[in-house]
Amino acid sequence: MSDSKYQSKNTAAFTIEVVAENALLLSWPAQISLSQHNEIMSLQTRLKQQLSEIIIETVASYHCLMLYFSHQSVTSKQVIEDIRRVANHQYHQLNCQTHSVESIKIPVYYDTEQQWDLAEVARRCQLSIDQVIKQHSDNIYHGFALGFTPGFCYLASLPTSLHLPRKSAPRIKVPKGAVAIAEQQSAIYPSESPGGWHIIGQTPLPMYESRNGQFKATINVGQNVQFYAISKAEFITLQQGLA
Amino acid sequence: MSHHCLEIISSNGHASIQDLGRLNAQHLGFSAGGAADEFAFLNANSLIATEQNLDDKTPPQSHCAAIEITLGQIAFKAHAACTIAITGADCQAKINDLLIDNWQCHNLKAGDVLDFSLPKTGLHSYIAVLGGFTCQVSQQPWLGSFSQTKNELALGFTGAALTVGSKLYFPLAAQALFKSTPLVITPSNKAPTQPRLFYASHKLTLRFIASKLFLQMSLAQQQAFLTTEYVISPDSNRMGYRLKVKQQASSTAKQKILSEPLRKQCLLSMPVVYGMIQLPANEQPIVLMKERQTMGGYPVLGTVMQTDLFRLSQMRPGQQVSFTVISHQQAQQQLRAFYQKLHYWAGS
Repeated sequence: MSDSKYQSKNTAAFTIEVVAENALLLSWPAQISLSQHNEIMSLQTRLKQQLSEIIIETVASYHCLMLYFSHQSVTSKQVIEDIRRVANHQYHQLNCQTHSVESIKIPVYYDTEQQWDLAEVARRCQLSIDQVIKQHSDNIYHGFALGFTPGFCYLASLPTSLHLPRKSAPRIKVPKGAVAIAEQQSAIYPSESPGGWHIIGQTPLPMYESRNGQFKATINVGQNVQFYAISKAEFITLQQGLA
Repeated sequence: MSHHCLEIISSNGHASIQDLGRLNAQHLGFSAGGAADEFAFLNANSLIATEQNLDDKTPPQSHCAAIEITLGQIAFKAHAACTIAITGADCQAKINDLLIDNWQCHNLKAGDVLDFSLPKTGLHSYIAVLGGFTCQVSQQPWLGSFSQTKNELALGFTGAALTVGSKLYFPLAAQALFKSTPLVITPSNKAPTQPRLFYASHKLTLRFIASKLFLQMSLAQQQAFLTTEYVISPDSNRMGYRLKVKQQASSTAKQKILSEPLRKQCLLSMPVVYGMIQLPANEQPIVLMKERQTMGGYPVLGTVMQTDLFRLSQMRPGQQVSFTVISHQQAQQQLRAFYQKLHYWAGS
């Protein structure tokens, strides 16, 4: 095992682990923390820029960064040394980083008509439906990871008052644009799929666009997100306008 | 141009277009996907490259998409002449009812029927052609690949699921490869590596790179995992292989492989890679395969080396596997040697 620790004064330690022939896993303490995640994002950007010759793909999550490298041209030992060099360099320039505080605004029709879970969530959280809507839409979320299905971004943290475990049996069909919550997270289903989260509303906004063989997610990891309530009529108008 | 194709005329199994997958789209949430068994897939392309005397440079034949057939039971009609290579699970393939050899190049004429039966062993078979197959005319790769991932087909980026009436197009150049005289079977158009030596006969020991978590486990817990014999469960697929304990020896107490404190360290979802061994609370391991999702929330004991995953992908429910530890250096060495043998150089 090539397991090594990198530590510096201002930043939390991360470990580097060779998890596959072509992949390295960088791990930070297992927590949902905005500052730690910004640090992961910052290192990811630098590694992508400075090691573009040897790093093929990077996937970030709450406390991890997975790096795929071209294992036929470099050894994992070399890549680890390069990562350390880039990480050390980053430490000195950390204060120069500026993060966008602009939030992506997501319109949501918080729906009780279609028998989704809004009423059930309100009951289980011992809140009124209006309180659930207010608490969900007053909060600013941060995109911590993309995954599960293309364009699905894990958003955290949901206010504690809305924390519920995943549904005991997942739904076979969750509609496109469903706004859902589970545990300390919220997310939007980009396409119709099965899903075990509680659906509290629906957005007419598409979660990705694809053009000329390129895919662009509406919400990217590291971005801030805020929801705002719209009426059913607005939902229909927007849906038609965006179609 | 549109008549340069094989058309599916009967199908009772599963087939899809596969190449080496989307190697840099996981950050968007796309599965890496790709051919389940790279040994058979690369051999098929290598047979084509050898036949054509390609130096395999631009575009590399090793990256070209092939038809992956799972459990045979499919027939194609050729609408134009071409040379194909077939490899993988032996489906007793026939051209116009005449049995043909597996791991071999064959010529097809317009009107020929190519038929695959249910294989006696193995799962996946491959048909390769010069320049590769696509399921649409002038199709462009999606995020660097033509691979069809089951859970992503509905998004519409990689064509429709293959079924009766589907046409698998090949470039005009594939026809030029065809010679009017039958292909002479010479060592040059034989598979360069011995399939029989590569695959496991009945039982496979999966060599894996131990995770940090595995190294934190007690010696007794590690031993419990390494000495358990597992059976491949019927709900295994291209996403993951689910394993169940073969038998619980009555004498040994049902000691947990992973203790609760260690399990509690692994609550947050994290990116997963090909071959990771997940251990859900029921302690029935799942080995992640090509069509895995990009994130996972279960504790990971390690990662099976890729050359063993190609072997595993051909194994069926009911077959046995067990695990043993290998260093990452050894795994890397094996994979490098594997690709060198098959004239494949990533990123070339």
